[in-house]
Formats: sequence, structure tokens, C-alpha cells
Amino acid sequence: MFILQVYKLLDDKRFQESITRASNNARHGVSKALKENPWLEELAARIKEVGDQVISNLEHYIDKTITSLQRAGAGAHLARDSREALRIFDDLTPDVDLVVMSKSMAAEEIGLREHLEKRGVEVWETDLGQFLVQLENGKPMHTIAPAIHITRAKARRLLSRLGRDPGSEEPEKLAHAAREFLRGKILSAKTGVTGGNAIAADTGSLVLVENEGNIRLVSGVVEHHIAIVPVDKILPDLRTALDMVLVQSAYAGIFPPTYINVITGPSSTADIEHKRVLGAQGPRRLDVILLDNGRLRASKHPVLKAQLRCVRCGRCQFECPVWEKLANHWGGPVYGGPMGLNWTSIVHDPDLASELSFYCLLCGRCSQVCPVSIPLDDIIRWHRTRVWKEGHSGEN
Amino acid sequence: MVDPLRLGRMLADNTLRHGYPLPVDPQVITGWAAEAGLPQPRPGRPVVFTGALYQLTPYIEALVELVGRFRDPRIPSLGLRLASSLPWSSELLLTLLETPEVARGVRRAWGILGSIARLLREAGMRPAYAWEADLYSGIMLYDLGMDEEFAQQAQRVHKLLRERGVEKVITLDPHTTHALRDLYPRYVDGYGLEVQSYLEVIDPSLISTKGEAGEVTIHDPCLYARKAGVVEQPRRILAARGLRIREPQMSGVNTYCCGGPIEGLAPRLSRRIAETRLSQLERASKTIVTLCPICNANLRAAAGGRGDLRILDLAELVGNA
Ligand code: SF4
Repeated sequence: MFILQVYKLLDDKRFQESITRASNNARHGVSKALKENPWLEELAARIKEVGDQVISNLEHYIDKTITSLQRAGAGAHLARDSREALRIFDDLTPDVDLVVMSKSMAAEEIGLREHLEKRGVEVWETDLGQFLVQLENGKPMHTIAPAIHITRAKARRLLSRLGRDPGSEEPEKLAHAAREFLRGKILSAKTGVTGGNAIAADTGSLVLVENEGNIRLVSGVVEHHIAIVPVDKILPDLRTALDMVLVQSAYAGIFPPTYINVITGPSSTADIEHKRVLGAQGPRRLDVILLDNGRLRASKHPVLKAQLRCVRCGRCQFECPVWEKLANHWGGPVYGGPMGLNWTSIVHDPDLASELSFYCLLCGRCSQVCPVSIPLDDIIRWHRTRVWKEGHSGEN
Repeated sequence: MVDPLRLGRMLADNTLRHGYPLPVDPQVITGWAAEAGLPQPRPGRPVVFTGALYQLTPYIEALVELVGRFRDPRIPSLGLRLASSLPWSSELLLTLLETPEVARGVRRAWGILGSIARLLREAGMRPAYAWEADLYSGIMLYDLGMDEEFAQQAQRVHKLLRERGVEKVITLDPHTTHALRDLYPRYVDGYGLEVQSYLEVIDPSLISTKGEAGEVTIHDPCLYARKAGVVEQPRRILAARGLRIREPQMSGVNTYCCGGPIEGLAPRLSRRIAETRLSQLERASKTIVTLCPICNANLRAAAGGRGDLRILDLAELVGNA
């Protein structure tokens, strides 16, 4: 029962402390970024406009993105739901035995890691936070900062289980131990999986933001790079795709980001007799799985469509009083907090979202801080209206 | 834990039947106005509309406590079963709630409402009161997603007020203000009421400067700050009385919720949120000014009778000069 889990979390002092700390740090990071770069707010307002433009014409932009990806030499696949996404993935990787992943909420959404493990494939998350979450067999607690609930002591215990005792609880030592382990895996893997923070419809360029540098490795040293990109991440052109990731990282409180990767097709060289050969130092193959999973339908829904312009900065989570106590335990199986509840409704289960909506305060802090002005609390309240209607598991 | 569906149905049934979410004696809601000497509505005069929120808050507090008593944290599953088998007949429930403590709470609410009336007069206004029309705004039904029932109540309240020739309404709390000003127009055809909070209609330069000097902090209610744009007005009134305001961490449009809205469904979670807010506020000042009865009740509960804190409604602080 959800309420019992709530009370357990409230009694977990360490958990409470770490979320509070993470929230405060993020708040500080965002206000600093916005103060030092006032132009970011304007950029966010533009992204809102552009986002709406894409949502109201989503099929067109999906088609355009597919064409552009193919022109760039990438494989482009549209998956209607999680099952189809996994099937496409399996078809692309019939003989794979080791896969390295960089943090991707889309991969979480379709349950990729569990699926591959069931197939007998060895899978490793390479983002440190996500790696720790994998080791504890847990779930990411924030869109950008998945392991905010894991203390250094716990991190050490988790790493020790791999036979890699870092020797102390110093964060530097912990990060080093993880790096040594993951380096080995990344270098021996032939397939790397990433998400995508944005994708440009005009060029088919994939834009990936990060601080750790694992994404460049996972997408760079393997032979086959597979990106799973939700269709709401489509922006009309490369320019706005880059703008969008700047907005995302600023409102996540990590600005400027250490790396922004732009990937347009597989690596190639034409250095020998000017003949283009796919696969130079980077991957020989790039496949992009565009994930619909309820988004196209939501784009036509009068209330839910606004959620599709979400840039997944996670600011609404850090600012939500309920999230500050429960983290992603509230909101649904993958996504959590205010935005998570609405995403749960779109990609998983609207009835679950309706049930969880009653834990919202409707205090409106989330909508107040959202860079793209999503009326999150209105959407959450709308989920409550569903339960009073007869047979509410249908579409209404 | 209260099943929101059952609770919602009960509140809606009562609201549509009696005008209030619990079948209380209407005298509980309107008695203060006779004490305050307010006249019946007359043309051209604004009407004070309480929406019953101040008067009902003691009942809500008692209800939450009652539910809490059925839940023993050591035996959660048994507690939950007992809680869901609460005697949900409204009349029986009301009998359980009518304790001396609730009666004291209602007296206090009446005192606050009387102070607001005096404050309005001091600022040169001549408010009236529409006894039979001062029903519950239905805001909780809206919050619970019961749009149809909320619409019915909105139409009824609107009709009652219009039948009495009311054009201008003065609301006293953020929930009722939001309901009548922002939501009713969406649910009532030909909506014709001009709605302002008492904090907005009072001209601070007209109220006397005599009052309690000192330093206070202010807790902005979410709806005032983020939906109704009421942020500066209460500060000006406090300043007019000579009070210095120390802003807490998170104020104005960035204000932090008191936890109130989920106290029925998840009392401990609600309490934790109230404690977080209280600690932000008390770092600014030990005298905390609230503008909403629900915020006041929640912050008081979180303070748990601590003697070093004063958590007062704005009207309690400035309305008695
Ligand atoms: S809803 Fe808004 S604040 Fe929340 S993650 Fe999405 S863009 Fe960020």
C-alpha cells in the first residue's frame, strides 16, 4: 500500500537528509545559472513556443526526423510502444553479449536493462549514479540525479560487492573505483546505448548533454551506437535542439554542462581516395529508436499535450514539497514527482496517475518554476476528475 | 488514511444538501456577523462572503485528528482497516466532532471574522452580509476533481448572491477568493460578481498606525501568491500598523505550502511538510502571520504548542486597534 511506503520513507532519516541536500544544491545551482545568464529565461520561453509547434504537428516532425536520420546514414525506427521498442532492439542486436548504457530515462521506460538481462546479455550502466542504482537494484530517484538517495557509505558497500572496495568512503575514491571497473566494460563492449536530450528534425542530429564523459565513450568507442529517443524530444532544427539542451541543463542546476555531444550519423572517413567509408574511430553503425509509447496520442489530448513540451530538467521535482519528502517513490514506476505523475499517465497507466494525484498539494510551485510553463498542477488535478467518471479506465 | 473517494462523496453530498461540507448548524457559520453588527445587503454595498472556511476549519482539524486516532503506527494495517470503517454517516460524525475544543476554535474564528469587519470599517468601507447566501464555496470539491458538484455549488452561490442584489463580494481567505474569482466564472454562465479579497480592498493609508510594534514574518498562502496575485497588500497593512516584516526563505510567488491540502489523506506527510515550512518561517521571526485558517491550523499543529512561537492570523494581529 502506497501510504505505508510513504511512512517508511518519512522515517528514513538518511533518505530525508539526502533529498533535502540534493534539493537545496539544485535550487542554488539553478538560481546561480539564471542570475549569471539572464538570457536563459528568454531562451526557455522560445523553447516553449517551439515545443508547442512540434506537438501540434508531431507526425510531420517524426517523418522529417526519420528522413533526416536516414540521409545522415543512421538507421531510423519508430516504436509505437515499449514492446515494439524492445523487439526492434533485439532485431538490431541478435548476437550481442555485452552492452554498455548511459543514463537514459527512455531505456528505463521500456525496461531495456531488465529485458537484456533476461536475454542473458551482460549490461552495465556507465553513469555513476545510475550504476549505483543498478547495483542496489533500485530505481532512479531523479531525472538528472538518479542516485541522490545513496549515501557514500552505501556506495562503498555496493562497489565492494563487485570486488572493488574503494578503500574509503571518499567520493573521489568511490568515483575512481567505479571508473576503473566501467572503463574495462566500455572498452570491451561492441554496443552502446544512449538516450537523447534532443534530436533535430532538419539534420537528424542527436544532442546529448552530460558532465561525466561516459556518454561520449558509450557513443564513441563502440561499434554500434543505439539511441532511444522519445518523440517529444524532436525539435525543428539543430539550432533549437542546442538551445533546448542549454535550457535543460540550466534548469537542472548544472550549467554550463561539461559536454554537449552532437551526433549526426555514424562516424566515417573519406581520407582514402575521397571514398566515404563508414566507421572511422567512432561507431560504424548508428540506430535511433524513436519512441512513441503514448506520446502521439497525448499530443492530441487537450490536457495532457502540454506535458509533452517538458525538457526533463527536473526542476519541478526539486521544488515540490512532496517530492522533497518522497523523491521518485511518488509519481509512478519510472518517472516521479509532478512531471513524473503526468508522464506516468502518458506512457504507463493513467489510472495509476489518477490514484497518485491525490497526494499532490496543488500548491503550484511546480508550475511556477517550470521553464516551459507547463501547468503541472492543473494537469494533476485533471487526473482527479477522471476518478469520478464511470468506468474511468477508458479514455477520457 | 482517508479514502479520498468516500470522503469526497460525503463532502459533496453535504455541500449540495446543506450548503456546507458538514451538516453544521448555519448559526455556526453566520453567528459572527450579527455580533459584528453587519447589515443585510443593500444596493451599492459590498458583501462580505466567508465561504464558511474560517468557521469550518476547527471541524476539519478535529476530523483529521479523529482519523489519526484510529491509526496506530505500530499496527498500520489494523489501523488502516479501522480508519476506513469510520462511522461515515455525516450526522454521527458531526456529533463526534462537536467537542469543547471545536467550540473554542469556532469562537476564535468568529473573533477573527469580527476583526476583519472592524478593519474594513476602519478603512472606510461599509460592508454588508448576506446570511442565507454565505455558503461553502465548494473549493474542496474542485480540488478533489468533482467538477460537476463544484459547478452546482458555484451556480447556487452565485444565484443566492445575485438574488440579493449583490454585485461586489469581499472574500476573506485565499481558497474562497480563488474559487469565486478565478473558478466560478468558468462554471457559471453570465457570472456577474466582482470579487476581491479584503486584503485588496483595504487602503493601508486609511487604517490607524496604532498597533503592536515589533517584527513579524509572513507566510504567503499558495493560492494568494501564485493564483490571486495577493502578495504586497498584506505586507502594506502590517507595515501601516508599524510592524517590521522579515521575509522568510521562500516567500511571495515562491512560497512553500503548509501541507494542509493532504492532511486528510496522508497526515504524517502533511505534518512533515508543515514542519519544513515552520522551520523556514521561524528562522525569520518567532511571530508568524498567516492569511488563511488552514495554513494557521497546520502551522500551529506543527508547532505542537511550543511557547516561543506566535502563529497569528493577520486580523488577530492588526484587527483590534
Ligand atoms: S515539467 Fe517543467 S520543470 Fe518539470 S521537468 Fe519538465 S520542463 Fe522541467
